[in-house]
Amino acid sequence: MTARRVAVTGAGVVSPLGKSLAEFHAALAAGRSGIGRLPESVAQGSGVQVGALVDWNPAPMFKQAEAANIDRVSQFALAAAAQALAASRLDVASADRDRIGLYWGTGMGGAHTLEGAYKNVYGAGEWRLRPLTVVMAMNNAPGSNVAVRHGLRGPFANFSTACSSSAMALGEAMRTIMAGRADAIVAGGSEALLTPGTLAAWQALRTLAPADPDDPAASCKPFDKRRAGLVLGEGAAAFVLEEESHARARGAHIHALLTGYGNSCDAVHMSRPDRDGQMRAMREALSEASLEPGAIGYINAHGTATAVGDIVEAEAINAVFGAAANDVRVSSTKSLHGHLLGGAGALEFAVALFALEEGVLAPTAHLEQPDPACRVRHVPLRAERIAPPRAVMSNSFAFGGSNVVLIAERA
Amino acid sequence: MDTLDRIKDLAAKEFSIEPNNLDPSAQLDTLGIDSLSFIEFMFKVEEEFGVSVSDEKLKGIKTLADLERHVAAALATAGKV
Repeated sequence: MTARRVAVTGAGVVSPLGKSLAEFHAALAAGRSGIGRLPESVAQGSGVQVGALVDWNPAPMFKQAEAANIDRVSQFALAAAAQALAASRLDVASADRDRIGLYWGTGMGGAHTLEGAYKNVYGAGEWRLRPLTVVMAMNNAPGSNVAVRHGLRGPFANFSTACSSSAMALGEAMRTIMAGRADAIVAGGSEALLTPGTLAAWQALRTLAPADPDDPAASCKPFDKRRAGLVLGEGAAAFVLEEESHARARGAHIHALLTGYGNSCDAVHMSRPDRDGQMRAMREALSEASLEPGAIGYINAHGTATAVGDIVEAEAINAVFGAAANDVRVSSTKSLHGHLLGGAGALEFAVALFALEEGVLAPTAHLEQPDPACRVRHVPLRAERIAPPRAVMSNSFAFGGSNVVLIAERA
Repeated sequence: MDTLDRIKDLAAKEFSIEPNNLDPSAQLDTLGIDSLSFIEFMFKVEEEFGVSVSDEKLKGIKTLADLERHVAAALATAGKV
């Protein structure tokens, strides 16, 4: 019996770079940044200057009353998942829905709902809260909304490991399909936590970049000597992952095969990244895919633009790739779409697939002065076009020490 | 606008149903209003009328007409009519 392989048959995106895969690709290819000054209504007293907001209007997908009952993070999830399912042409209604699952990742779940509730309680002394507060705010709400909307009755899981959450959802979905427990899984992640209170908490960590004085859109500068920290973003990305023969039997277009998943924990510190933990995750993903490092043509780095994080990741890539590190292109597109936290891994997997399918390597924008301590083969400033590589890698490393690495190969 | 019309108006907005299609004597589930949606709706009804309907009374509400009776009673008790 041949091993079950996992195909990517659909993708959907709601991001600061556009609300469809086509818009997202166009912005990546053009190197257009979705980062900007946060409006006063969002930043309030937090001190946070810049962010990457989705230009979001719930209509026409959600009626007004419906939108009021679904947190922003779940609206993003529903929109991205609907795009992915439509693109896959998987007819869920006529499929065995007990064999179609939903795996999701989010860091904070319904942050807007929760903060709104606390504002009422502690700010206004109003203890009478909306009955939907719990089901709107809970961490599994985004995934559950998608499952309910499409009647996905197979395996369900929700991952919350900060910045690796949605990459983990994809990796675990892959394993679940490989193990024969599902024919298809809609997998991805979403985040929508640009609320004044959450921003204040992030500001206290002293890891956020201030606005670039000349160009707020250029505030996030991964791997650059001038880098000053990360820029928070919001959005969602979703994929239809499907057992290969199931996809081929229905004549689906296969965008890529998800073949490698590495998952490790640093287990040394709550926030400081660890080279060894990252290396173990990259090596596990390569091993699962049975690939030598030289087969990887592009790495979408975690690259948050923090002082320590970018150096540690560059060191880990060099240690794992050895001589092949001279050839593999590396970029951090957080310079364009910001850091989607729980949604980052899924969104950046879409960036990696763009490289795999079309040979378009989205750049590390604003990388004018590469830090010699981050010595990798960058894709600086502008997108690079290459012959589509055989395989690509996407790194997601989280607070708490969780490291997730995904590898996709051409179908 | 009388109490029932105000309730129908709220329900029409909450559930995106044409007010003319809201039969006050219809069972709520036949209107597509499930228990969770109804509890959220009750929150808004209580806000609108400035009254409180007890959990016990809530259990007995099966139609919008039932709801109207309870709201009217609560308004009378509160001296708001």
